[in-house]
Amino acid sequence: MLDVIGTLARVGLAAVWLISGFIKVSDLNQTYIAVQAYDLLPSDVVNVVAGALPFLELALGVLLLAGLGTRLTAAVSALVLLAFIGAVAQSWARGLTIDCGCFGGGGQVAAGDTRYPQELARDLGFLVLAAWLLARPRTLLALDGWLTTRDMPAEPVDTQGRT
Amino acid sequence: MGGAERSARRKRQAQNAGRGTPAVAKHKPADRKPIIIGAVVVVLLLAAVLGGVIYSNNTKNATEGQNIATSELDDAATGAAGDKVTYPVEREGAVVVVGKSTAKVTLDAYEDFLCPVCGAFEENFGDDIQRHLEAGDLRVRYHMLPLLNERSDPPGYSLDSADAALCAADAGKFTEFHQALYDAQPEEGARGWDKSQLAKLGKDLGIGSTSFKSCVESGRYDTEIQSHFDEVRTAEYLQQDINGQKGFGTPTVANGHEVVDTSNPKWLDALLDNAS
Repeated sequence: MLDVIGTLARVGLAAVWLISGFIKVSDLNQTYIAVQAYDLLPSDVVNVVAGALPFLELALGVLLLAGLGTRLTAAVSALVLLAFIGAVAQSWARGLTIDCGCFGGGGQVAAGDTRYPQELARDLGFLVLAAWLLARPRTLLALDGWLTTRDMPAEPVDTQGRT
Repeated sequence: MGGAERSARRKRQAQNAGRGTPAVAKHKPADRKPIIIGAVVVVLLLAAVLGGVIYSNNTKNATEGQNIATSELDDAATGAAGDKVTYPVEREGAVVVVGKSTAKVTLDAYEDFLCPVCGAFEENFGDDIQRHLEAGDLRVRYHMLPLLNERSDPPGYSLDSADAALCAADAGKFTEFHQALYDAQPEEGARGWDKSQLAKLGKDLGIGSTSFKSCVESGRYDTEIQSHFDEVRTAEYLQQDINGQKGFGTPTVANGHEVVDTSNPKWLDALLDNAS
């Protein structure tokens, strides 16, 4: 039963990364504007973050979907989500009026159009999925399980995701 | 080396022996596999990051190493086969005033060379405006503003292009320059045109003077543009309703102290008809 919950968490988080990564890759210019709107980084660094982030999200999505290195991938996912949460929270605290650009869009919006509480709640929800996989990376239909148990079908010790 | 060979041999033996020697088979591969998987994951993530940065910069730097095309002014714009501008063009501070002083309507146009809606505005109404400038019944004061200066990557295109347009006005080529920049408008969030490309455009449009080049490259009017922008963006009569909020945006067209609603395709004709 716990394996089933873990599997749902893994596939769910994979879907989140794949969807958000794909939307960002489709409009890299918009991603640049979205990252810049947080007003946190110098323009050279904005360029690098905006260029790398969509592809990092896609890679995390693919790895989670395959169930390869689940614990490590969940750990990186959690770090990225914590960075998102921190970035959104500081925008809210500083009174910036931006859209998080989490799933496309992003950049300045009118003062009444910000949705910081919802954005934070959503990211915290994703963080729970990552935390579950970090604590208990064993899931069904994962490459991890297939790779680590194939040679030792009789081995009962759980080695999945130990990295 | 000897140790490695020995352990490899032992591993082979253990595998051949199958269940017979579980102690060896259990520890060596089981402990190493997660490390290998971890290494593969790290390599894949790093590859995604590095590849992503390289790919992103390649797609966003489409303007690099290119020349800005010199646009032929349309026949409608010039009224004749040649593409000479026949109306006066004067720079007044950070504003370029085009058209005859006897025109019955004088409009203020607030634009940013990076702003996509300004590009659409020029596309839709540029020819109409040119026709009336030539006809002498319209005069336009162009305010090129750095509203979206942070929105190119690297930032600065809005200001550089505004400055270059003022330099081009000094050299008598404002209309051609303005037209060419809107026809070759870069995308927000991508690389704009840099100063040397802007200077090259002037040269391609027939501006031979070295003072034009230094005007563009030194950003001669940058301070003037910036202070003009600060005045304009806070001017009460230019504030408009933008997504339910009052604010200044581009493009904005004003007739005196009245903002013109350009959502009606016939706004210019209507304005000129009312004035006569």
